Amino acid sequence: MDYSLEVQRRFHSPDNIGEYAPEAPGIVTGEAEDRTLNVWVRIQAQVDGTVIRSVRYQVFGCPHTVAAAGWVAATLPGRASDALRELDMHELREILDAPVEKLGRLLVLEDALQACWQAHVEHENGQKGS
Amino acid sequence: MTKQSVYLDYAATTPVDPAVAAAMRECLELDGNFANPSSSHAFGQEARRRVEEARAQIAARVSAPPGTISFTSGATESDNLAIQGAMLAQRDHGRHLITSLTEHKAVLDMAAAMEKQGYQVTYLACDSEGLIAPEQVEKAIKTDTTLVSIMHVNNETGVVQDIAAIGAICRSRDVLLHVDAAQSIGKVPVPLDEWTVDIVSLTAHKVYGPKGIGALYVRPGTRLAPLLHGGAQEGGDRAGTLATHQIVGMGRAYELADTEHEARELAELRDRLWTGLSAIDGVRLNGHPTQCSPHVLNVAFPGIDGESLRLGIAEIAVSAGAACNSAAPEASHVLSALGLSDALAGSSQRFSVGRFTEPADIDYAVERVTAEVERLRQLAGAAPAWCTN
Repeated sequence: MDYSLEVQRRFHSPDNIGEYAPEAPGIVTGEAEDRTLNVWVRIQAQVDGTVIRSVRYQVFGCPHTVAAAGWVAATLPGRASDALRELDMHELREILDAPVEKLGRLLVLEDALQACWQAHVEHENGQKGS
Repeated sequence: MTKQSVYLDYAATTPVDPAVAAAMRECLELDGNFANPSSSHAFGQEARRRVEEARAQIAARVSAPPGTISFTSGATESDNLAIQGAMLAQRDHGRHLITSLTEHKAVLDMAAAMEKQGYQVTYLACDSEGLIAPEQVEKAIKTDTTLVSIMHVNNETGVVQDIAAIGAICRSRDVLLHVDAAQSIGKVPVPLDEWTVDIVSLTAHKVYGPKGIGALYVRPGTRLAPLLHGGAQEGGDRAGTLATHQIVGMGRAYELADTEHEARELAELRDRLWTGLSAIDGVRLNGHPTQCSPHVLNVAFPGIDGESLRLGIAEIAVSAGAACNSAAPEASHVLSALGLSDALAGSSQRFSVGRFTEPADIDYAVERVTAEVERLRQLAGAAPAWCTN
């Protein structure tokens, strides 16, 4: 299989992998998997108010999934927390020049981001309620 | 260690040996044996002499009379001709085929095609190490069974089946036995004078010969319905102008395939590779540890996506244990038959060594694979258990 330079770069030199210390403030976590596709992704975002400060990730999957998670982790910091639920995986597939059969794996990443967003919303609601 | 290119995919195909290429060149140009071997003029007869010389070289490698060897375009055609040809020729006696779940697709897809034509097929399962017990074959034989097709050396795991025992059973039950021996030559002996087999598929490109040429051993008296029509070449078994240069290349390749000497060297390389890789936490060998060909090592790396590992070590040519280009990655049918989960099958890599593999290649591969597995496991971090089981 041919891999775009973007995929190769993010696969071979990933940034922001791993996870935050449990006591780190403002951390929300989202996780998703698809066993039929052999993909698992965990995304952690450090959100300060409505702004994403940083993102870390762990990923088990093909090179496109690894690269996609890396792209997300590099792209989200500095953006509004809404970006967690607004990233378009079709656009990301084009950025990575990934074949269409890889879209299902990218949608697992989208699920992890959505779970992250949900955790953020629940965290915010909890803050308002307390 | 500096980055280098390492070829460890000899089970997929081999480079043409320089001596083979030289023999082939002798048959391509005006001053060589380029003529049609079926022509009656002197040019043709000289080409015919080269063809028959090659036939004898191939026959000698498998301890068979030269007249039992027919040329085909490769092992896939040989497998197709063997199965369809034998079953059609015997269709008045029965319509039941026995084969195994771990066969090459050339056999499995042909078997499926026979099913569509109304034939019955029994697919034998193997044990967790890839072996098929000869007794399974005996139990599966029915009154209308006409053919058993079992491969000798498995192309994914290197597991070697007990063809001598299976052959004895088939002969005692008056059932034909076809054996795909495409991976065997030069690695594992194929003593057709000792085995009671009827049809054997052979190929050139797994043994330093050219692609596009293969052969079929057919025991005298065994009838095959031809796949191709259009000439009386190869005794009517296989029509078409004989490809002199390909045939001469195959003959020279088989002459060079010194099984005893090469198998020993391949086994040393394979053992060196396994010794190195087995130091990686959790790795497992797919297939039987001793009843196997010396050139293939199939290894599962729990917690690793196989496609990612292959990209991580892209300078090292290895093959997947699973096809992974599709939307839902299809696990290797061979590894699934051994009982591996999709995740484990998907993590598996087939390494295969050959004539031009050096110990330094092995050491480099071990170092690179070890480092990449560690890196990918760090990426996966706290991945759930299903990723590793």
